[in-house]
Amino acid sequence: MPARRADSRAALSRTLDANLCKRCQGNPPDITVRGELLCKECFFRYVSTKVVKRMESFRVRNSQPGAERTLLLPISLGSCSLSLLHCLNSQLVRQNERTGRPGFKLHVLHVSDTESTAHLDKVKALFPDHVYSVIPLSDVSQLHYVTSIFSDQDRPTDLSGLLESLKSATSRTDISQILLRKLIVHFAQSHGCEAILWGDSTTRLAERTLAETAKGRGSSLPWIMTDGRSFQGITFYYPMRDLLTKETLSYLSLLQPPLIDLVVKDEVKPAVSTKNATIDDLMRQYFRGIERDFPSIVANVVRTASKLDSSLLDHAEAHCELCDMPLDGQSPENSRICYGCIRTLP
Amino acid sequence: MAPHVCEICQTARAQILRPKNHARICAPCFISTFEAEVAETIMSTELFQPGEKVAIGASGGKDSTVLASVLKTLNDRHDWKLDLVLLSIDEGITGYRDHSLEAVKRHSAAYDLPLKIVSYQELYGWSMDQVVAQIGKKGNCTYCGVFRRQALDRGAAMLGVGHVVTGHNADDVAETVLMNLLRGDLPRLSRATNILTHTPSAAKATADSCSQEVSFTDVKRSKPLMYAYEKEIVLYAHHKKLDYFSTECIYSPEAFRGSARTLIKNLERIRPESILDVVRSGIDMAKLVPGGDINCQGSCSSNKKQTVAANADNEEEAEGGCGSSNGKESGGEMAQMELKLQQDELAETSGMETEIKLPAKVTQAANKSDLSQNTASTGMSSIPIRTKQTKSLGKPERNVAPPKQKLGQCERCGYLSSQAICKACVLLEGLNKARPRTGIEVGGNPG
Repeated sequence: MPARRADSRAALSRTLDANLCKRCQGNPPDITVRGELLCKECFFRYVSTKVVKRMESFRVRNSQPGAERTLLLPISLGSCSLSLLHCLNSQLVRQNERTGRPGFKLHVLHVSDTESTAHLDKVKALFPDHVYSVIPLSDVSQLHYVTSIFSDQDRPTDLSGLLESLKSATSRTDISQILLRKLIVHFAQSHGCEAILWGDSTTRLAERTLAETAKGRGSSLPWIMTDGRSFQGITFYYPMRDLLTKETLSYLSLLQPPLIDLVVKDEVKPAVSTKNATIDDLMRQYFRGIERDFPSIVANVVRTASKLDSSLLDHAEAHCELCDMPLDGQSPENSRICYGCIRTLP
Repeated sequence: MAPHVCEICQTARAQILRPKNHARICAPCFISTFEAEVAETIMSTELFQPGEKVAIGASGGKDSTVLASVLKTLNDRHDWKLDLVLLSIDEGITGYRDHSLEAVKRHSAAYDLPLKIVSYQELYGWSMDQVVAQIGKKGNCTYCGVFRRQALDRGAAMLGVGHVVTGHNADDVAETVLMNLLRGDLPRLSRATNILTHTPSAAKATADSCSQEVSFTDVKRSKPLMYAYEKEIVLYAHHKKLDYFSTECIYSPEAFRGSARTLIKNLERIRPESILDVVRSGIDMAKLVPGGDINCQGSCSSNKKQTVAANADNEEEAEGGCGSSNGKESGGEMAQMELKLQQDELAETSGMETEIKLPAKVTQAANKSDLSQNTASTGMSSIPIRTKQTKSLGKPERNVAPPKQKLGQCERCGYLSSQAICKACVLLEGLNKARPRTGIEVGGNPG
């Protein structure tokens, strides 16, 4: 975008009117983004640029007319995945306007155990052009290769029984997340999706970096953080990786009409008793503070973790049967699961 | 509820809830388990050679006191034939170090181990009190850290010892892992998780180890307590009735470390095992650090070559007892990093750095920060040194694409340094120059 660059250079040399949006100098500012006062329009452009940049491979010119690639978009109805859905929907609309055809197709997946689909129905109504599916997490019990690990350990193989058998809240969250990811990957593979678009923001990825480190899963970090082929054999993308969680919240609130009411609040309870607190809760709270005071440090954590070189473990032959990470010296002899999973399944 | 019986001996009443795994055990079983675990660490990593001379970096605090006590006990019990000595550094901080040194002197007598005290005053001509008087309360941790790293090596060389053990515990290592994730320093993360770190010349020296001479440039460092919980170290000291000095240095820990420390404490509350899990993650991550080589233990400079310039300079700073290796005022450190990252980001988005390729950009940014750091720490007298620094830094940056650092020796003192002049000498030059200069400026000011 040479034009914008020239713009901003010119803008730098001009004296800026501090009462106007720092980028366009046309509108009054609505929000402070990483130290810059921006108007709504410039903020929307900021968000969408960050996402579109990550979706380079899915430009119209890379797609076959009539045979667009299908991408799975799992949504939790949190602010990150909803913002991503909104951005991608707008991108598709723009692609259609400009070239008459889209660069990709979206298959939206919501994993939920509740009967009510009211929330998702509203989302569907807003973005009707995509395929939607809802499946319960308990479907994971039907995946034999997952349940065999638990039955071998004499654990219940149905989801609720399994979770109840785990002692700590941290273990329950950990296992639920692993199973959730496995279920989503399975769904993508069995529904002809070429890749999975995860909604994790920078903040979420930073939280995960420290949470996985604290759970003894440090060696899995390079696979969690990077776009590309995953160990499950399908490609992962993290289009929201350059945006903070608080920016997704502002995005949804500033949109016309605002979408913020569609966000299903994830209950971050302040840790009253540490007994039921989880490592994930702790990291979420920690980064909520860091995000407020030092947003660039959040991004720095993710950048650092992404620098770890996953190719150094490419030679690993065995993989953890639970979380799929390479078992290269990560676990005792003859173990089928990794150190982190052993920790979580005591 | 009936009192619990010790899970290990099944006879005595359990007095201790083990912090590491919440096992209920009695005090004697705890002591022997703790010692057995340290012995296991030492033996499985083949940390010492039989008959090796080993200096225990002794500050008088709980960690080094327990380390000295355990090593002495294990050495006798397992007949390792180690030649143990206590090595203390006197930074010259009145009201802090003089008291803790008294504790070390008592240990020396109690364990019948020889003691060597090396002072900053005798090594550098400056005590920390004098440094603080010269440069003020801000930024003096840099001096202390840089000086300490060399002091331990120099002290060991004076004693003819090629191996220094320090009291870093599992909490310290876990803290360092999280801290370096927060501030994006993978090489340091990697080094912190290695139980043994040594320099390339140390590796060479082992080949002809018959020579008695030990140079201060090839001293090994190790952390035999790196798998021991801080809480268990305190418990061990308590039940063994060890006498230690428990006052932190008067300077508060740097912000990143403080932040990481709080996080580790909270993690421990949620899942006690997580301290060791963080250590474990750190060890695994160290294997994935680009350019890292597991065999050479992460610290040796041939491995370090590929790390960016900023780290090469920091390398000479201590992993230190006081935990402060960065001379920023404590609260401002994270804010300063935030500012720098924001500027980098801004530069990138507004396209001001388009011409520069990625690796070169890293060097430049790193050098920039180095320079500013030097300027900040050497204060008003920095101008002549800074020009010199720019020259020596400038060369490698221009002609090589990947920013490789060669570890050479300081032109002045011979200590290991990636620069022509090591950081300690640069700092000293600043201090020494400022002495007469202050006088002149005061005289000239009224006009």
